[in-house]
Amino acid sequence: MSSVSIGVPSTPLIAIRGVSRRYVRGPDDIHALERVSLSIPAGHFVAFMGPSGSGKSTLLNLVSGIDRPDEGHVVVAGQVLNELSEDELARWRARHVGLIFQFFNLIPVLSARDNVALPLLLTHLDKRERVRRAETALRVVGLDHRLEHYPRTLSGGEQQRVAIARAIVTDPDLIVADEPTGDLDARNAEAILALLRQLRHDFGKTVVMVTHDPRALRFVDDVFHLDKGVLLEGDDAERAHAAIMLAAGHPPAGTGTGR
Amino acid sequence: MKYAGLVLANLGRNKLRTVLTGGAIMLAVVLVCLLLTMPAGLDALLDALASNTRISVHNKAGIVYPMPHAFTRKVRQLDGVAAAVSTTWFGGAYEEAGRVTFPNFAVEVEHIRAVYPDYPIAPEQLADFERYRDAALVGRQTMQKYRWRIGERITLRSTVWPVDLDFRIVGEIADEHAPYLWFNREYLDQALRATGRPGLGITGMIWARASDPNRVNAIMREIDDMSRNSEAETACETEKSFFSNFFGSLQGLVTIILIVTGLVTLCIVFIAANTASMAVRERSGELAVLKAIGFGRRVIFGMLLAETAVLSVVAGVTGVLVAVGLTRALRVFAGWSPALGPLGNFLVTPTVIVDGLFVSLVVGMLAGVVPSAGAARKSVVQALHEVF
Repeated sequence: MSSVSIGVPSTPLIAIRGVSRRYVRGPDDIHALERVSLSIPAGHFVAFMGPSGSGKSTLLNLVSGIDRPDEGHVVVAGQVLNELSEDELARWRARHVGLIFQFFNLIPVLSARDNVALPLLLTHLDKRERVRRAETALRVVGLDHRLEHYPRTLSGGEQQRVAIARAIVTDPDLIVADEPTGDLDARNAEAILALLRQLRHDFGKTVVMVTHDPRALRFVDDVFHLDKGVLLEGDDAERAHAAIMLAAGHPPAGTGTGR
Repeated sequence: MKYAGLVLANLGRNKLRTVLTGGAIMLAVVLVCLLLTMPAGLDALLDALASNTRISVHNKAGIVYPMPHAFTRKVRQLDGVAAAVSTTWFGGAYEEAGRVTFPNFAVEVEHIRAVYPDYPIAPEQLADFERYRDAALVGRQTMQKYRWRIGERITLRSTVWPVDLDFRIVGEIADEHAPYLWFNREYLDQALRATGRPGLGITGMIWARASDPNRVNAIMREIDDMSRNSEAETACETEKSFFSNFFGSLQGLVTIILIVTGLVTLCIVFIAANTASMAVRERSGELAVLKAIGFGRRVIFGMLLAETAVLSVVAGVTGVLVAVGLTRALRVFAGWSPALGPLGNFLVTPTVIVDGLFVSLVVGMLAGVVPSAGAARKSVVQALHEVF
């Protein structure tokens, strides 16, 4: 269990113990994750970083309850996710997880407000309350002037903000973002990272993000480095972190390297 | 109901495809509704054609086999028979040589009035029919088809007898369903004798009218008993039964059409299923995201199925309305043109409406269930892997 810490530790929201995940793709048996263990405290903004194929997206899928491990345990907010069926996991995700994707993935035939209200269809709220909450979420991300706009009329940055509003509208414990800045220009990428940090600061949300973007280091509390399905520890983690800091234009000595 | 907005929004995603798919389903429903009107329509047509007191007497071996003409008199003398007339197929072709385009019969003119009191024929025209040896009464359908006028002379070349006969049209059977041409039996008899042949000692069919509808069955039994063990045993039936058997080949046609309709409907199921599959495939990314944010398999399945169901029901209702409109229009047109007369009997009844809506719903469900189930069954991680 090793991370490069930038923040202050608190009670773990996510506990991963000895998790492995393998896929069979054609003739190949791919070891996406090998005995990974880590903890993420509640209210932290955490990044999973590593090269392509390192297993960071697989780890994100396990944390968000999209996928289940072949070995080990994933515990989020006290719930052992391994024990849940596919349908139970779907219900659990609807209640506890807000998801943000690289390509925004909004429904093109719905307005910004209806896109944000989408996860609320799975609740017992009436339509008026669903609309009220969607508008509140859009206000939080600074898009309350774009309620009726359809995705095609919004910029990439605005679409990602709508996606973030959709992720927070159910007030989840955990926000999971898969390369949220991957399809954005520098200015919009910074704005989105700032917004995610704001969610952690203002609303105490736990945010877990997969990213290649070195700019993310300025916003997150912890970074977990992965390579070839293994969580890097000790010097390996420090070296990976230093390389990313360097790529971001910061000297490695300037980082607050931790555990 | 809270998913209705999403379902409708998805239906409006590709309007042209939605309209074309709905149009295909609608056409299937129109076709099914129109064809389902046929059995009841034929029945109504027979009711309109047939009297409940007229009896058809023909050779038991079949209507092409003759009976002795003298048997007509015996029928006429039976208790409860108000009148009887012999009719003999002339098989006359007008213009188109070798082809009969309307039924024409040699009849006993003096008994027509009594056997067919329900036929609208002007009394003075009937009087002329009885007066002139070469007179002919012609049904309105045929009069209009050939644009004949009363007083006009026509020639029919028989395809059965070795004679051509000239007729003067003295009247019209002003009934929308009557295409016949009737002429005097004596005229044919004399024409045959003039060729050196024996006279017309036979009859093709006898039509008898019972004085009381309740006596019809008893009279039919008596006539058949009377001819038993003779050279020409008879088989009596009511006028409705006779026409029903005569049009029996139509029932076979209806069966064929119903089978074709079933196949067409099946084709439309496949077309709609293909369209639904394409729509699901195009949205696989969105469906993966919906699953990821917590939409369960049942919800996804229900939403996708609801899309095809809504489309099918809307198309079905439209199809039923079109079918009702078409049959009503036919009814109106039938009033204007005798040739379309029988079509006025084909009406979309409440039962047919229910059947049409049921067909549309079945088409929608069958078309939607496979792609919807496939999309719903796919695990969220598999769906995300395929898309991202």
